[in-house]
Amino acid sequence: MERKLQQIFFALSLIALTLILAAAWQANTPSWKTYQKNFLQLEAQGEPNAVTKAAVLATPPQIHQVMLTGLQRVDRCTTCHLGVEDPTMKNAPEPFRYHAGLGPHIPSRFGCTICHGGQGLATDKDNAHGKVEFWQSPLLSQEYIRASCGRCHKEGDVPDVPELAEGRRLFETQGCRGCHKLNGVGGSIGPDLTEEGANHRSPEWLERHFLAPNAVSAGSAMPNFHFTRDQARDLTYYMLSLTNEEMGSYFSSMRSIPGPAYGRQLFIEKNCIACHAVGGVGAKIGPDLLGVTKRHSMEWLDEQLVNPELVYPGSSMPEYDLETNARKAIVAFLSAATPDDLRLIQSGKPRAQSVEEVAIEAGKQDFARFGCVGCHGTELQGGVANPNAQGGEVPSLLHVSDDYTKDEVIAIIRNGRVPPMDNAAGPPPPLYMPSWKHVLSDEDINRIADYLWSKQQQKKDSW
Amino acid sequence: MNRRAFFKLSWGALGVAAICSAVAVSLAAVVRFLMPSVFYEPPQSFKIGEPGDFPFGPPTFLVEEKIFVFRDRDKGFSAASAVCTHLGCTVAHFQSDQRFHCPCHGSIFAADGTVQHGPAPRALDWFEVTLARDGKLLIDKDKVVPPSYRLMV
Amino acid sequence: MNLIREIWQSIVRRDPLSTDKGKSELVFLNVWLHIHPAKVKKENLRFKHTFYLGFITFFLFLILLTTGIALMCYYRPYPPQAYQDMKDLQFVVFMGPFLRNMHRWAAHGMVVCVFLHMCRVFYTGSYKKPRQFNWVIGVLLLLLTLGLSFTGYLLPWDQLAYWAITVGTNIGSYAPLIGGQVREILLGGHSVGEGALLRFYVLHVAVLPSLIILLTIVHFWRVRKDGGLSQPVWKLKPQETESLVTIGAPTAVEALHVAPASTDKTYGLMEVVTGKPIFETVTPEEEEDTVFSYPYAFVREAVVLMATVTTIMMMSLFLNAPLEELANPAKTPNPAKAPWYFLGLQELVSHSALLGGVVAPALMVIALIAIPYLDRNPSRRPGDRKWMLWLFTFFVVVNLALIVVGTFFRGPGWALVPPWVHVAGGAE
Repeated sequence: MERKLQQIFFALSLIALTLILAAAWQANTPSWKTYQKNFLQLEAQGEPNAVTKAAVLATPPQIHQVMLTGLQRVDRCTTCHLGVEDPTMKNAPEPFRYHAGLGPHIPSRFGCTICHGGQGLATDKDNAHGKVEFWQSPLLSQEYIRASCGRCHKEGDVPDVPELAEGRRLFETQGCRGCHKLNGVGGSIGPDLTEEGANHRSPEWLERHFLAPNAVSAGSAMPNFHFTRDQARDLTYYMLSLTNEEMGSYFSSMRSIPGPAYGRQLFIEKNCIACHAVGGVGAKIGPDLLGVTKRHSMEWLDEQLVNPELVYPGSSMPEYDLETNARKAIVAFLSAATPDDLRLIQSGKPRAQSVEEVAIEAGKQDFARFGCVGCHGTELQGGVANPNAQGGEVPSLLHVSDDYTKDEVIAIIRNGRVPPMDNAAGPPPPLYMPSWKHVLSDEDINRIADYLWSKQQQKKDSW
Repeated sequence: MNRRAFFKLSWGALGVAAICSAVAVSLAAVVRFLMPSVFYEPPQSFKIGEPGDFPFGPPTFLVEEKIFVFRDRDKGFSAASAVCTHLGCTVAHFQSDQRFHCPCHGSIFAADGTVQHGPAPRALDWFEVTLARDGKLLIDKDKVVPPSYRLMV
Repeated sequence: MNLIREIWQSIVRRDPLSTDKGKSELVFLNVWLHIHPAKVKKENLRFKHTFYLGFITFFLFLILLTTGIALMCYYRPYPPQAYQDMKDLQFVVFMGPFLRNMHRWAAHGMVVCVFLHMCRVFYTGSYKKPRQFNWVIGVLLLLLTLGLSFTGYLLPWDQLAYWAITVGTNIGSYAPLIGGQVREILLGGHSVGEGALLRFYVLHVAVLPSLIILLTIVHFWRVRKDGGLSQPVWKLKPQETESLVTIGAPTAVEALHVAPASTDKTYGLMEVVTGKPIFETVTPEEEEDTVFSYPYAFVREAVVLMATVTTIMMMSLFLNAPLEELANPAKTPNPAKAPWYFLGLQELVSHSALLGGVVAPALMVIALIAIPYLDRNPSRRPGDRKWMLWLFTFFVVVNLALIVVGTFFRGPGWALVPPWVHVAGGAE
């Protein structure tokens, strides 16, 4: 018996050894290693000589990841999708193919899952593509990927994705807010849509729901708006873009990413057409700007606008005193500019409004965006309680021109102001006007002042 | 020895070998388990932008990667480590004397990174700069090159 | 050569194992092995006596300790990093899935085996005098095991974990007076959140393991002081009882039969002074039924260890521990189920919160602890204990039935849905 027990023990040890070896072998042969080997062979084919070929083939297998710490995302897609930033892989078979048309949105900076969905943490195909139980954001199909642009580009027109602006417009004009809250404003009859994009609903479901709410959500009180297929598509895009991630602020400064419309305005203002053309329309003194964002990085173009001499010594392009957002807006405009745009500009019939109207509109946007309406009201009516301040509340701005000149108001916005106290012996008022000169540019402040002045009520006359 | 004894010994030896191997493999597996396969750190090899983005003259300092990128009109690109070899402070580069100065203990490195003054034990490292396939400059901190290395673009 | 022998002999200071003295010294000179007696009764080594369940449970615990410590190198107990770390273990850590699986299956195995071990001890009547308090310690170990399993259940921070613990702590809060307070202290808040995760982690890796180790030491020690394992049931003679117990010196001396002196046996001083283990008489006949722990007991322990490890490894290679979506406090799965060992409780609670969640489990625990003291029948023979055996079996079956109902027959809204009609969410 004892001998048999010893033999059983040894046999079990052998089994245990086999099992550990099996587990280790399993751990050592993940599918991504095979993909990497195949990619290296593909790469080696493009190498000129045997030495470099051997060097490429000898690259050790490695998991590649892009860490986006601000978004708490980690994308490991490039472990298999190795050619995604390599233009020579244009015709390679998937998953090695080059991803064209990204502009500044390269994977090493943005990851992949922000646009495509999927499970970035995974390292095998099914799990990474998110087509597994318990992962709720699988890869978006081709038709809906562009909706992801709206997750960062929340305002204005997004180049190449007109559906987003149209969806937003439909949302605002069809009365959706009557039943649905969005960003805190709206009714409570339907669900809050502020983060609808984060609810992991399939795009197909959303579209079907817009076309026939009751067919998809039994017993729903939502009426059928008889949207067309295109309208349902646009609204779906808009919904998909409503995620809770603060991706915009992660990738740019606190200011929102400026839209091309503003850039177009600057293009006119600064008279770029005096030297440049787009697609042959315009002047021929400087280089043609058609597709310039595909030829140069954003950083290069930005530098060009700051200091043209540095990039092309001897250049006759003047140095414009533009700040960051203005430069970004111009580049955004150039990324989508067509010869037709320039024709319109040439003929002096801009699609946008006059310079002054644009400035006032921009000022109004800034006024809302930077939170001024929080104290001063959406109609500039003021009225928010501020105990122990003179007047007891935040002042209305509708008559500010009676008491201050425009320059004085600009100074107040720049430097801030503590309201005078009603009772000097009492506690200081909790609210005060902060100083904005380090947050807003001078141009922004001027435009806000323009906006305020456009809203002044002629109180004197009505006395 | 006779056959019986031989087999008895063999089985015993096999058994002992099995146990020892199982233990050894387990230990090796645990050690390998503890070695991370991914690092939550900035990557050692990274792209820094297009060649046109970098001016001639004073070097561009990359803050997160702690690297100076030089662009010489005649010779091309080079990248120097900005980490002092003494105790790891970040050195500064002055145009006036073209040298690297460390604020912590006064080490001074010449334009090619060699130690001229101070407690630093080694010269500053220069890293390989290559052109990636999409035309961007690629720096690899795992590949140290001699100070004379340049990438001509 | 002499140096090597000198080094070896400075480490291994016993006689060679070919001698009886060496075999004894291997046991009582070795700090890790000296909980064993130098010699054990042959009959106690048989499989059908204990099914080695105690050892299986202990070895499962050792597996849990080692795999748990390894996993600690990659796991951070802060939401949502905890979930990301679970994904990392699954995708980028070498043998991460294997180690995690081992941990999970060993944990479930330990809950099952500790329960089976308790049943075995009951069915063999091995809780009777003088072993009553060791049974109580065993019940405490059972509760600690459940506690370890429960605290560990939360750590992956997925929907399964989050809601199971929400349900489990809510059941506990029904305890009168202190229930709400205890729940708040456990959770570090009013609901399951980052406070709960951190506290459950501390409980799981520090507090409860320490307690379970301390009590295990006492448990093993008491087995030894009780004279080793109880006599197998088939060896019990009618009308004769096991307990010739007298605590204290005078009568104990009369009960002692000192084994005939042997020239090749040497006991430590302690043995000579107190004689044989005082609670057990060892007659000369019985003396012949003992064998040295080395190799008889140790080889069996080694086989049990290997079999346990191999079984867990097999399971870990082929069965994956679950990982659902990230915990979402806003979205309750329907139905939300406690871990399987608490599903019987949850079933009871669904009928009455106070009775099912507080009274019934409290009574069960109290009843368990009281068994050795309420049982006035000194006989261990099955024939003499029919009532007790049926009663206990009944309660075991009822408990299992409740768990089965809770696992397979309860669907959304806790409605009764047979498993062949609706795929019931089986808790792991």
